[in-house]
Amino acid sequence: MIGEVSHFFSILASGLFFLSFVFSIRTYSGNHNLEVLVSRVFSYGFSFILISFLLYVWLAIQSDFSIRYIAEHSNKDLPTFYKISSIWSAHEGSMFLWILFLAGWSQLFNYSLSKNDLLKAPAIGVLAFIIFGFLIFLLFTSNPFETILPIAPTNGADINPVLQDPALVIHPPFLYLGYVGFVIAFAYNTAFLIKGDMQINWESVIRSWSLAAWILLTIGISLGSWWAYYELGWGGYWFWDPVENVALMPWLAGTALIHSLYVSSRSKVLRGWTILLSISVFSLSLFGAFIVRSGIIDSVHAFANDPQRGLYLLAFSAVLITSSLTFYVYRLPQLVSKNLVVAKSKESFLTINNILFAAAIFAVMLGVMYPLIFDYLYDERISVGPPYYNTIFAPLTFLASAFLVFSVGSLWQRSSKLFFLKSFLSMSIIFALIVTMFSVYFYQEYQWWFIGGIFSGFLILIRYFFLIVDSFMKKNYFNKSSATAHIGLGVLILATTLNAALSYEKIINIKPGETYKGDAYEFFLIDFDLINESNYDSVQAKFSVKPIDSPKEVFFMFPEKRKYFIRGQITSESAIKITPLKDIYMTLGDQLESGYWVVNIQYNFLIRWIWIAAAIMCFGGFTALIERLRKS
Amino acid sequence: MNKIRKKRLVSVLALVSTSFLGVFLILSALNSNLDYFYTPSELMEVEIPQNKRVKLGGMVEKNSVVRNGTNITFNITDYQETISVSFNGVVPDLFKEGSGIVAYGKLINNRLVAENIFAKHDENYMPPSIEISS
Amino acid sequence: MKNLLRFFILIIPIGGILFFYNILTEDKFYPGASFKNTSVPQFELLSLQSKSPLINDDLNNEMLLNVWASWCITCRIEHGFLMKLKSEGITITGLNYKDEASDAIDWLNLYGNPYNYNLHDLKGSLALDMGVTGAPETFLIKNGVVLVHYSGEVNQGIWDKVFLPIIQDNEMFK
Repeated sequence: MIGEVSHFFSILASGLFFLSFVFSIRTYSGNHNLEVLVSRVFSYGFSFILISFLLYVWLAIQSDFSIRYIAEHSNKDLPTFYKISSIWSAHEGSMFLWILFLAGWSQLFNYSLSKNDLLKAPAIGVLAFIIFGFLIFLLFTSNPFETILPIAPTNGADINPVLQDPALVIHPPFLYLGYVGFVIAFAYNTAFLIKGDMQINWESVIRSWSLAAWILLTIGISLGSWWAYYELGWGGYWFWDPVENVALMPWLAGTALIHSLYVSSRSKVLRGWTILLSISVFSLSLFGAFIVRSGIIDSVHAFANDPQRGLYLLAFSAVLITSSLTFYVYRLPQLVSKNLVVAKSKESFLTINNILFAAAIFAVMLGVMYPLIFDYLYDERISVGPPYYNTIFAPLTFLASAFLVFSVGSLWQRSSKLFFLKSFLSMSIIFALIVTMFSVYFYQEYQWWFIGGIFSGFLILIRYFFLIVDSFMKKNYFNKSSATAHIGLGVLILATTLNAALSYEKIINIKPGETYKGDAYEFFLIDFDLINESNYDSVQAKFSVKPIDSPKEVFFMFPEKRKYFIRGQITSESAIKITPLKDIYMTLGDQLESGYWVVNIQYNFLIRWIWIAAAIMCFGGFTALIERLRKS
Repeated sequence: MNKIRKKRLVSVLALVSTSFLGVFLILSALNSNLDYFYTPSELMEVEIPQNKRVKLGGMVEKNSVVRNGTNITFNITDYQETISVSFNGVVPDLFKEGSGIVAYGKLINNRLVAENIFAKHDENYMPPSIEISS
Repeated sequence: MKNLLRFFILIIPIGGILFFYNILTEDKFYPGASFKNTSVPQFELLSLQSKSPLINDDLNNEMLLNVWASWCITCRIEHGFLMKLKSEGITITGLNYKDEASDAIDWLNLYGNPYNYNLHDLKGSLALDMGVTGAPETFLIKNGVVLVHYSGEVNQGIWDKVFLPIIQDNEMFK
């Protein structure tokens, strides 16, 4: 019964969103009464979709297995937390969550934007149209409310034990919140382009929304990376998997957007770029959703699906993307500023930044699309892996770092002398060179990417160090949020470079009572424990690890192999020891006939610093957001 | 041509030429980093230079898994042809006889020396009371 | 120059859209469907209900082999369609996969039996040899040759797009 009610509320919500959209069409000419109606009808639409979703959550908690989706993805014995998260573990439910978030962000926008804003009603209309389109997709092709009748199963199927993990549970919501948050910029800009009034100051409206979405998307991607590291057993944090890449592209566009917005709002140049970027971020999110849900890409985590769904998503995304781009192209002449960007001004460096980001997005898109095109043309399957992406990304990152550092001392709308002898820039370059040469010598690493990475990372950190100290001493203003975020970037570059250069692994054979002596640690295998939990059995190795340099500080590590009952699936739980500079990462392999076990020991240098760097960047973004919200 | 036009022309030319250069570099990076994917039948048909890395996908053949210390050898089959694979290290959790996997490495003497093994994510279910033979 | 740029901005996404449209509407594109030309591996299993032994020769020349189990929820959903196929005269043999015989028989009694008989593959050995990774999966066998291996639920849409063309075509599908 509740299932039907929830379904009904979703249908009602679609109707209301459609109505809101229809009313919004007339508001381009400034019909004020309709404007209020657009906003109000939208609010009701939101309430109904919220009620529908909450009822659905109730159904999941109550283990209502007459609902097909809940039966297929949840189970009576799951803890409540995982019953709820099973909702977004597969296509239909996660689509429902996506729609809820779209509606939620839009309603927040609806609520907080002043009703005097000329573009409010048109933008709400665009948002309503988007939500309506996705709801129709949900209800007609991916119905989470489908029932199994007349006899409901007494228990559901278990979800993959790999999915029963806190990080994996919160990763999709953050990711969706991020992706979907950029819809606000998209809708507002599309409304702006349709209306065509060039005087409207759209930048100031969408800055905070874009920043907020960016922060959430960064967190979402970082969570995915962190989860992959500890769960998948490979000790890697990024695999350039197509599904990761389609999340990265909106992030790249989003980062470029927030920088470009900064320029457009101050100097009224780069408006063309900024709007194109804001259309691109949401378009790339749509592209991502399409790729993952259409069955086109056969990847480790794509949802296997019916081409009908793919076709609908393609059609709907096509409508959204081509119509917004058409308006963009139509208005482009009016958008482009008559002023030239002054050479060596801040604007010029940020323009170059946009170009570099565009190149990165192009490169990733090519990597994702090429196998598809190749297969289509030549009927041969190829894949594009990390070597390609690393080859492209490293130089782009180094270039971007260089221009970032140039831009630190630069001025708005004016050139400045950057390279004179005692300038901070020159000093930073010299110091960075010294540190790089020292590192190269110390680590005996001569690879181009190592040199480039160390130099770029330190260049950024040193330059900002000068900036902070100088501003502090002269009591000058400097942009603290930007400094924080860019310091985070510097840390990220150093961490990824050193991680790549210094990490290594050793594969050993060992049996209880034996010791393996590594370079810095001695590993003694005490024994194995057999553990019986309610839903799995496991074999757990007990290692005592002694650092060779400080033998008193012994610690323990317990890698295990589990066999889950429902699924018969075998998983490895890696043991991780976190130390300030590295992680020791142990994975239990198979048991050999002789009683020996295969064990893999990895030393992952500075891996925690990668996520710390992401957190620093988010913190920078966060302070920037607070600053902007306080100003308005 | 006046000064502003000249400046504009220069900047446009610079932009266009760096774009072309950039695109060219990206495409050549792409071309030199493509991994070809084969099933065992396809691999038997094609002439692979013995030192090139390839991806081989199929099922782990029943009774073909042999462990020797940290080394493991097994056969990948598509139920028509079979290729022998060797790998040194810990195999992924989802690796077992009858499961779908992809091995990535070089063909040396008609055996694939794998550097990486990827197991296919199995979305379907198995009942609680049955022992899995492994 | 500017016009060229505007043209590019539009043509790239439109090109992409047309490309994807082409892929999605290709006849061969059906995730989960794998077209083959192989024989059924040798097996010796017991019939689920009668417990009599079954071997390859006992299989019909033209039939569907449906992999299912009582613990498989999606099989419940597919079941209705299988009953419909049975009523249209399609021969369906079941491969009962990693299932206790009593559970499977109870299930058939409760919901109905679309199968002429069932191979009781308790250990999943025949399934393993045929490349089965879960349930439900369905094989189309014609003239003793496996032509289609479909992973996932078969419904009217999938039947029409994946199975019917091959059933109706009298040549072997390449």
